[in-house]
Amino acid sequence: MTAPLLQARGLVQEYATARSFFGKTSTVRAVDGIDLTVRQGEILGIVGESGSGKSTLGRMLLGLETPAGGEVLYQGAPMPAPRTDAWRKLRAQMQLIFQDPLAALDRRMTIAAQIAEPLEIHGIAKGAEAAERLAALMARVGLRRDQADRYPHELSGGQRQRVVIARALATNPGFLVCDEPVSALDVSIQAQVVNLLRDLQEQEGLTMVFISHDLKVVRNICDRVAVMYLGRVVEEAPSDLLFADPRHPYTRALVSSIPKPGQGLHGRIILQGEPPNPAARPAGCAFHPRCAFADRGCAARVPELQHDGRRQIACLKPDAAAATAA
Amino acid sequence: MTFVSIRDLRVAFDGVQVLHGVDLDIRQGEAVGLVGESGCGKSVTWLAALGLLPGKAKVSGSVRLDGQELVGAPRPAIEKVRGKRIAMIFQDPSSSLNPVQRVGKQIMESLRLHRGLKGRDARAEAIRLLDMVGIPSAATRVDLYPHEFSGGQCQRIMIAMALAGEPDLLIADEPTTALDATIQAQILDLLGTIRRETGMAMVFISHDLGAVSVVCDRAVVMYAGRIVEANNIRSLFSAPRHPYTAGLFAAIPDIDADRGRLVPIHGTVPDPKNLPTGCAFSPRCPRATAFCQTDRPHLRPQSGGGDVACFQPVAAPKAFPALRQEALA
Amino acid sequence: MLNFLLSRLARAFLTIMLVMTFAFVVLRLSGDPAMVMLGPDAPKDAVDAFRARWGLNDPIWQQYLAYLTQILTFDFGVSMRDQSPAIDLVLERIPATLALTIPALILKVGIGIPAGVYAALHRESIADRGVIMMSIFGFTIPSFVLGLVLVLIFAVTLDWLPSGGQDTWRHAILPIATMSVGGIGILARFSRSAMIEVLGQPYIRTAMAKGLPWRDVVWKHALRNAAVPIVTLVGFMVGALIAGAVVVESIFSWPGVGRLIVVSVSNRDLAVVQCLLLVIASSMVIANLFVDLAYGLLDPRLRHKSAAH
Ligand SMILES: Nc1ncnc2c1ncn2[C@@H]1O[C@H](COP(=O)(O)OP(=O)(O)OP(=O)(O)O)[C@@H](O)[C@H]1O
Ligand SMILES: Nc1ncnc2c1ncn2[C@@H]1O[C@H](COP(=O)(O)OP(=O)(O)OP(=O)(O)O)[C@@H](O)[C@H]1O
Ligand SMILES: [Mg+2]
Ligand SMILES: [Mg+2]
Repeated sequence: MTAPLLQARGLVQEYATARSFFGKTSTVRAVDGIDLTVRQGEILGIVGESGSGKSTLGRMLLGLETPAGGEVLYQGAPMPAPRTDAWRKLRAQMQLIFQDPLAALDRRMTIAAQIAEPLEIHGIAKGAEAAERLAALMARVGLRRDQADRYPHELSGGQRQRVVIARALATNPGFLVCDEPVSALDVSIQAQVVNLLRDLQEQEGLTMVFISHDLKVVRNICDRVAVMYLGRVVEEAPSDLLFADPRHPYTRALVSSIPKPGQGLHGRIILQGEPPNPAARPAGCAFHPRCAFADRGCAARVPELQHDGRRQIACLKPDAAAATAA
Repeated sequence: MTFVSIRDLRVAFDGVQVLHGVDLDIRQGEAVGLVGESGCGKSVTWLAALGLLPGKAKVSGSVRLDGQELVGAPRPAIEKVRGKRIAMIFQDPSSSLNPVQRVGKQIMESLRLHRGLKGRDARAEAIRLLDMVGIPSAATRVDLYPHEFSGGQCQRIMIAMALAGEPDLLIADEPTTALDATIQAQILDLLGTIRRETGMAMVFISHDLGAVSVVCDRAVVMYAGRIVEANNIRSLFSAPRHPYTAGLFAAIPDIDADRGRLVPIHGTVPDPKNLPTGCAFSPRCPRATAFCQTDRPHLRPQSGGGDVACFQPVAAPKAFPALRQEALA
Repeated sequence: MLNFLLSRLARAFLTIMLVMTFAFVVLRLSGDPAMVMLGPDAPKDAVDAFRARWGLNDPIWQQYLAYLTQILTFDFGVSMRDQSPAIDLVLERIPATLALTIPALILKVGIGIPAGVYAALHRESIADRGVIMMSIFGFTIPSFVLGLVLVLIFAVTLDWLPSGGQDTWRHAILPIATMSVGGIGILARFSRSAMIEVLGQPYIRTAMAKGLPWRDVVWKHALRNAAVPIVTLVGFMVGALIAGAVVVESIFSWPGVGRLIVVSVSNRDLAVVQCLLLVIASSMVIANLFVDLAYGLLDPRLRHKSAAH
C-alpha cells in the first residue's frame, strides 16, 4: 500500500449565521469530525447528501478554509496557514475545481487568460511556451481554439466547466480536489474528461478527491468512495464493493436512487422524514430519524466509523441492514 | 393543444450563428426532455424565447405562446409571460441567486408578483415551498443569504422560486446537477406530482439521460444548433436512430459493468463559425458517407415513429418487438 | 459584531498614531522652524531662545514622548506664530472648508451616480457617450486649470461672479463648481462600470426571468449590488471633506483649512501642522470605518465569516 499523501484528522467546520446585521448568531456544524486518508496516486470519491459538507470538506483539505477543529496533514506535515508563503508554494501542487464554474471565473478576463494565469503566477511557462501549453490544455478538455478569446458568460455551462478544469490542470498539480467536475458536461465530453483524469492518475500519479453526485461516474473513476451524511462519513469502501453491496442504510437508499436510462427509478428506497439540518443535529446516529432499522439505541449513541473487512461503516445495526440487503 | 410553438428559431452572437433554425412544439401539460452536446444551444433556445439573451444576440424566427408571438415582443408583454406563463430554472444555481438578498425575499418577490401574496402569507408560502424542495428547517432558514447554502440547496431554492409563480410551462435547465441521488429522486417526484396536480408542462434540459427518462414523455436531441432526433422516451432509449444519439448512450458509464474506460464520441464538436457543409455530425459519424459530407439532412418523420435528421440512421429495431408493441398499445 | 467594531476601532487608532509619528519625524527633519519663523538673519540668541522655548534642543525621542503625552491629554500645542492653541486655529477654519466641500460632495453624488447609472442602463446611446466624454473631461482636467478658466469666463469676462473671497454665497459658487467637476466625472465613470458589471450578472437574468418589471430589476436587484464599489469611492470623498480643498482654496483665496495648511507648512508652524494632520487623518479613518460598516450592511458575504475565527 502506498504512503498517505493527505490525512485529515477530526476535521470540524462551523459557520455562524446571523439573522440580521446585529442579530444573534447561531452555529451550523457543516463538518463534524472527519478522518480521511488519501493515498498517493488514488482517486477518493466523496458522495452524499446535498448539504452534507462535501464542498466544505474539500476546501479544508486544500487549506482554503481553516478548520474549526482537527488538522490536515499533507505529506505528513501540517497544512500551512492560508496566505502564507509556504501555503502559496503548495497551491501550485494542489488545485480545486469549483462546483459553480461561473462563480469561479473572472467575468472580465478571457478564458485563455484565465487558463494561462497560473502558468505565470507560478512561473511555469512564458511566451511561446505558455501559448503552446495553453493550446494543449484547451485541447485536452475539448475546448476549441476559437473559444480562447471568449469571456466566461459567452460560453455554455459545460464549456465553462471545462475552462475551470483546464485551469486547474495548468500547473500539473499533484493533488486535485474536484467538486462536481463533470455535472455540467454532456455524457460524451464527460467520458472524455473522466478518461483524461484517469490517464493523469495512471501516467502522472495524480491524486484526487472527487466530489460528485453522479454515482455512475464516481463508481467508474474512483478507487475508494466515502459516503457523507450530515457532516460525517458513514461508510467508506472500495468503489466496486460500495456500489455492489452498500451496507449503511443511507448508502443503500442513495445507490438505489440512481436513475437508469430507460428504466426509471424502479426499486428505489424512499427516505422518509425531514431532511437533516446541520444546525439541529439529531441525537445519536444522525440518520436514525429516517432509518428503517433504527431503534432506541440509535437515538442514544453516536456510531463510530468501524472497520468491517475492506470497508468502514458507522452504523449500530449493520446486520439488520445487511439482512434485508441480501 | 400546442402551448408553445417554436419555428425556425435562429440565434447569432457577433455574427456567429449558434442556433440554426429550431422547430419545436410543446403541448399543454407534456414533459419534454432536451438533451445534446454541451454548447449545442439548449439553454440559448429558451433564453431567446424569453428574451433573456444579452443585447448583442440576434434572434430571428418565431416563438408563439398560445398564438402570441414572443420574439421581438415589447418588454411589458414579455414581462407578463416570464415567471407566470413560462418560468425558468437556470443552470448555475449559486450565481443565479442575488447574493445580497435573503433567499426568502427572493422567493416572496415571485409570490407577490404572480399570486398577489404579501407579508405573512407570502412568507408562509415561501417557507412551504422551501420545505417542499427539501431545505431542512426552512422556517429558520428563509432569512439566510445564498452564500450560506450549499450548491445543491441553492439549486433547490431556484426550483422553489420558479415554482412560486405556478407557471404553465417550466423550463428546467439542468435542475438536478448539484443534487445527490436521493434528493434528485425526490425532486423528480415533486415535479411529477406538481405536473399531475396542475397540468404544468415542462422542458427538462439535462445531461442525465437517466433523469430524463424518469420525468419526460418524449425527448429531443440537439447537435450543433439543430434538432437531430425527437421521439418518445421508450423508443428513443430502446432504439436511438441518429448516430449521435447512439453515441451519447454509449458514453454513459454503466453502473453494473466493470470500471473500464469510457467511450466518448470520436472527434470534437465543430466550430460554429465553420460548420461542415453537410451534416454537422458527419466528421465524427461512423456511418457517414460521401453524401453526408455535402448534403444536410432535414428532420423527417420516420416510419417507425419519431423524427430523425440523418441519411444513414441506425437501423430501426427489429430486436425489440416487445417494446414496439408496448409503445403502440 | 462588537468584536468587529472593537478591532476596527483599534486599527483606526493605530493608523492615526502611525500617521502622527510619521508626520512628526518628517517635520523635524525638514527644516528648522526657528530659521523660518525668525528669518535667516535673526540674531543667534533670539534663535536659541526660540529653540529653547519650543523644546527644539531636546533629543528627538524626548520631543516625541512629550508630544505623545500632550496629545493623549488632548493638548494639541500652541501655534509658534501667534501663541493661540493650534486646535482652535484648525477648528475655526473647518466650517469655511465644509461650506465648500459639503455642497460639492452633494453635487458629486447627486449628479455623478445618477449619470453613471443612467449611462449604464442606456449603453451605447448618445447619453452614454455624452456621460463618458464628460467624465473623461471631468477627471483629466486639473482643478487649478479649471478654476482659472472658470474665473476667466465668469468673473473676468462675464463679470457675473466674484473671483475670490468669502463674503456672500455667490463667492462660493465658482470654488464649489471647480471642486465638483472632477468628482462627478470619477463617480459617473465608476457607477457606470459598476452597474454594467452587475447588469451582466446571472442573478439579474434570474430577476428578469421572474417577470419582474425592468424598473424593479434595476432598483431592487442591480443597484444594491453595484453599491459596494460606489460606496468605497464616496467614502474616500467623505474622508477628503476637510483636506480636499487645498488647491481650490488657494485659487479663490478662500480662508479654509487648505489655506491654513499651506501657510503653516511654509512657516514650519509645527504644532499647527501636526494638529491639522491629526484632524485630517482622523476624518479619513472615521470615513473608512463607516465604509467598512456599510460593506457589512450592503453585502452579507462581507460580514464575519466563520464562528471559528
Ligand atoms: N458560509 C456559510 N454560512 C452558513 N452556513 C453554511 C455556509 N457554507 C455552507 N453552509 C452550510 O453548511 C452545510 C454544508 O455545505 P456544503 O457546501 O459543504 O455542502 P455540500 O455537501 O457541498 O452540498 P452540495 O452537494 O449541495 O453542494 C450546508 O448545510 C450549508 O447550508
Ligand atoms: N453571450 C454569448 N455570447 C457568445 N456566444 C454565446 C453566448 N451565450 C452562448 N453562446 C454560445 O452559444 C452556444 C450555445 O450555448 P448554450 O448555452 O445554449 O449551450 P447548451 O446547449 O445549454 O450547453 P450546456 O449543456 O453546456 O449548458 C455555445 O457554443 C456558446 O458558446
Ligand atoms: Mg457542494
Ligand atoms: Mg446550458
